[in-house]
Amino acid sequence: MDCLSDAELQAVVDNEADAASRAHVAGCARCRARADARREQMTVIAAMANADVPPALETRVRDAIAAGGPARGSTALRPSAPRGWSQANPWVSALAAAAIVGLIVFTGLPRFGAPATLSASEILGRSLQTLSGARGIEQLDFELAFTGFSGPHRIQQLVDHEHPNRYKVADFGPDGVLQSAFSEDSLTGRRSHLVRVDGRNYIIELSSVQAPPFSLPQLAQAQVETVIGMMQATSDQKLTTIDTPHGKQYVIQIPPVTPAAKGASTVDLYDARVVIDGADFGIRELEASGAMFKQPYHLSFRLIRRSTRQPADAGAAAFTIPASPGDVVLTGDATNDPVSDVLGTVLRELGRLKGD
Amino acid sequence: MFRGAAGAIMTTIAAAWMKPLDALPLAGPASADPESEVLRLFADHGSSLFRFCRMTLGGADEAEDIVQETFLKLLQHLRAGGDRANLKSWLFTVAANGCRDRLRARRRWLPWQAELDQRTVEAPDEEPDRRLASAAARGLPPRDLLLISLRAQGLSYRDIGIAAGIQEGSVGRLLARAVDRWKRRLDEAQRTHKL
Repeated sequence: MDCLSDAELQAVVDNEADAASRAHVAGCARCRARADARREQMTVIAAMANADVPPALETRVRDAIAAGGPARGSTALRPSAPRGWSQANPWVSALAAAAIVGLIVFTGLPRFGAPATLSASEILGRSLQTLSGARGIEQLDFELAFTGFSGPHRIQQLVDHEHPNRYKVADFGPDGVLQSAFSEDSLTGRRSHLVRVDGRNYIIELSSVQAPPFSLPQLAQAQVETVIGMMQATSDQKLTTIDTPHGKQYVIQIPPVTPAAKGASTVDLYDARVVIDGADFGIRELEASGAMFKQPYHLSFRLIRRSTRQPADAGAAAFTIPASPGDVVLTGDATNDPVSDVLGTVLRELGRLKGD
Repeated sequence: MFRGAAGAIMTTIAAAWMKPLDALPLAGPASADPESEVLRLFADHGSSLFRFCRMTLGGADEAEDIVQETFLKLLQHLRAGGDRANLKSWLFTVAANGCRDRLRARRRWLPWQAELDQRTVEAPDEEPDRRLASAAARGLPPRDLLLISLRAQGLSYRDIGIAAGIQEGSVGRLLARAVDRWKRRLDEAQRTHKL
């Protein structure tokens, strides 16, 4: 009998196998070792699945049964957003996502003191001013949920505000594994893309990069300014001041607007809520829904950490994507079209391999 | 890796793991009043159902909600004179559907609220290795996570097939792939890929 397949081996470990498979494992050292390894994995899974059952659960279920309806729990989901958003054009989603990544610029260095009283419009205005006041090298960690993304993402971004087109953005999945990254360094003329496919990192390194007129963060900043400007222009914003362990924060919300029945405008804002730090007017949280390029979007942003340093403290290595063992690295020369650069580099490599 | 820490609980888990579903107590005679029967079934399966939901959803609060909803549906099912054969499988099927709905709802946009944010909530006493293993599981495709979670509660392939809505004959193959994918993710996470 041939050695067992993974499925047959799994069945042996799960006591679901037939006699022939069990007999084979008993007599085959290789399959026995594979079964032992798989059994150990299942043991880890079983341990992971084990959890203490809250003592209150039984009481809660008893109460619900007695009442014939649900007892109040600790979780209550708010009404869901309308379906269908995930069908948005992925390219538009990507552009809009880039805009959101640009939110980091809201957390620029403090430039203004906080007066005793401010209107919502004034606070938004100061956030816009803060937006253009960031200096030095800024690193931000934030969580982002966005239409079309597979799940919540943790983004790490490094921006050199002293040199345009010098930045790095990395996207980590819910499990903490790096999913994609993009970096550009106008000082060295290098641009790198990292894409993770089937558990392997592919890094495309391009040299001779000519800096585009606007970097990704700059484009995003312009779009975010538009959104904040629209919030500022709304006449009936709701402003709340809250005291937190980290100081005073402003919460500004604009009333929800029903989307137009006959298609959206180029840029529309249907609903938005922003939390602004009372000390530096940087954005701490942002929730918004609307349309961009006539495609609907929803986003949720939360700043986790922000730090700044002097440009001298960050060398060129900080703006590259280093390869790890097992990563596939492709190199090429850049043009003014980043998408074609990536595609061209990959196709050239493919052609070279075929030619071999 | 987990042997030392989880050794005490493994015996208990292994006992349930090895026990065929048919040997577990199922619903009693149809004449029993539905409320008593639901409570008896909760005593028998409530804990494993909670653990299944918690593993699938990653948070205890939502798991409690699903368990409560599941047993309320069971009450309605019994009051309506529904089929009482293999109610354990019925319970896991309903809970799996509830978890699936919650996961779908998470993928839609919700206003950010700390009490809704399950992503960073972890059991304070969870060991780092176990936390890593859990994170690797939560990164799996929904069906993989569902199959692993069901098997982790000792369900047979037949009952996993019913709860997950797949052919019994496909369970072993799909489960093996799910375990392989989880192991790969765990290995990657342990390598701690850093920029």
